Amino acid sequence: MRALGRPSTTVPLILSLILVPLTVVLAFWWTGDDVDQGFSQKIFYLHVPVALASYAAFGYGAVCAALYLWRRDPEWDLRSYVGVHSGTIFGTLVLLTGPIWAKASWGVWWNWGDRQINVFLILFLYYCAYFMLRFSLDEGERRRSASAVYALLGVGLIPLSFLAVRIAETLIHPTVFTSSGAAMPDSFLVTFLVGLAGMLSLMALLMSVELRGKRAAARLVEYQRAARGEDA
Amino acid sequence: MIGPALALARVKLVLELRRREVVFAMLLFVAATIVIVHFALRADAGAGERAAAGMLWAAIVFTAVLGLLRSFAAEAEAGALDALLLAPVDRASIWLGTALAQFGFLVAVEVVAVPVWWLLFFQEGGPDPVPLIAALVLADVGIALVGTLAAALALGARTRDVLLPVLVLPLVIPIVLAGVTATYAAFGEEGGGFGPIGPLGFLALYDLVFLALAWGTSEHLLGD
Repeated sequence: MRALGRPSTTVPLILSLILVPLTVVLAFWWTGDDVDQGFSQKIFYLHVPVALASYAAFGYGAVCAALYLWRRDPEWDLRSYVGVHSGTIFGTLVLLTGPIWAKASWGVWWNWGDRQINVFLILFLYYCAYFMLRFSLDEGERRRSASAVYALLGVGLIPLSFLAVRIAETLIHPTVFTSSGAAMPDSFLVTFLVGLAGMLSLMALLMSVELRGKRAAARLVEYQRAARGEDA
Repeated sequence: MIGPALALARVKLVLELRRREVVFAMLLFVAATIVIVHFALRADAGAGERAAAGMLWAAIVFTAVLGLLRSFAAEAEAGALDALLLAPVDRASIWLGTALAQFGFLVAVEVVAVPVWWLLFFQEGGPDPVPLIAALVLADVGIALVGTLAAALALGARTRDVLLPVLVLPLVIPIVLAGVTATYAAFGEEGGGFGPIGPLGFLALYDLVFLALAWGTSEHLLGD
């Protein structure tokens, strides 16, 4: 179980401490106001990196789930859980910041015709149910397998939801990254990339801290069993 | 692999024919759901074809979940599941056999419910039956595959009855979207947004994707 090594918390901690405040500074004092959306566009530097970090965490959770089913090492199950958990926490942030931006920029809190937010909502509902499944099964092999299978199924759900949620007649979700590159000034792009790196470091930090906690808890259970003279 | 699955599906269908505890409940449930959604939308006040399509698909999905709650009930009650797991058959066959039985139940319910829905909402005209039936069959396959998978995952969970709908419903949202779009198309409505494959092609794709995913993970289902 310890074979995979301890995830570092120092590096992501330092990176988040630098990059997250730097994003705020850059967003408010360096980049100009967006021509079209004005000041409200500033939330872009928070909302989009959080959303991408959330997708990254769900992806990480699914990859670890596949590795668990393959290798049967409980460590991968813990990592998969931590990935889905962090993804859901960040997903909550996405669903909170999204409507704020939508209200400021589109005039509505929620737009059912938009593809990205609705896919995200489906995915969020889906991964919320992961916790219900996980914690209503007893600790052990069965819970780990069921959680891993469920986390993996999300991989099928994401592309299918993207296909299924209809492109509305009005394509109002800002599409800044097109095949011809990023449609924004360099200062916006740099700030966005700093924000993305900051959010990913913060995500990595949260995940490694949680993983350490989970490992310690698992070890504690082992020791308690040993102390009672039971076989682990 | 296919043989044991068919045998298991047959057992479930025979059991259902004798006990009549699932399909009959599903029929009553689908009727009640259609009536409730109808009044919730005040569809009498001219909500039109789109409301009728939505009613049908919402009712089908919720009814399917009701049926899924009983999908492994017979096995779980008499401890037959342990024997089944000890039998020299693939886990995939157990899952596939149960999915086949679920598919059968859904079709049986729809054979009654869809004509009634049609009579209630379309005295004249109505959708083109061929694409509607195709969409229903493809959707039933998807719901049965995914739903049985979720039921197998939830097996042995403490909160199984409340857990299963929570697991299944987000997974079948794409089915509802495609099914409703296909029904609109059956009314002669343009558009859709499913690109060149259309909603029916999408439903087939959904079935294939989850068939592959479920097959690949089936040995980890149903516990040890």
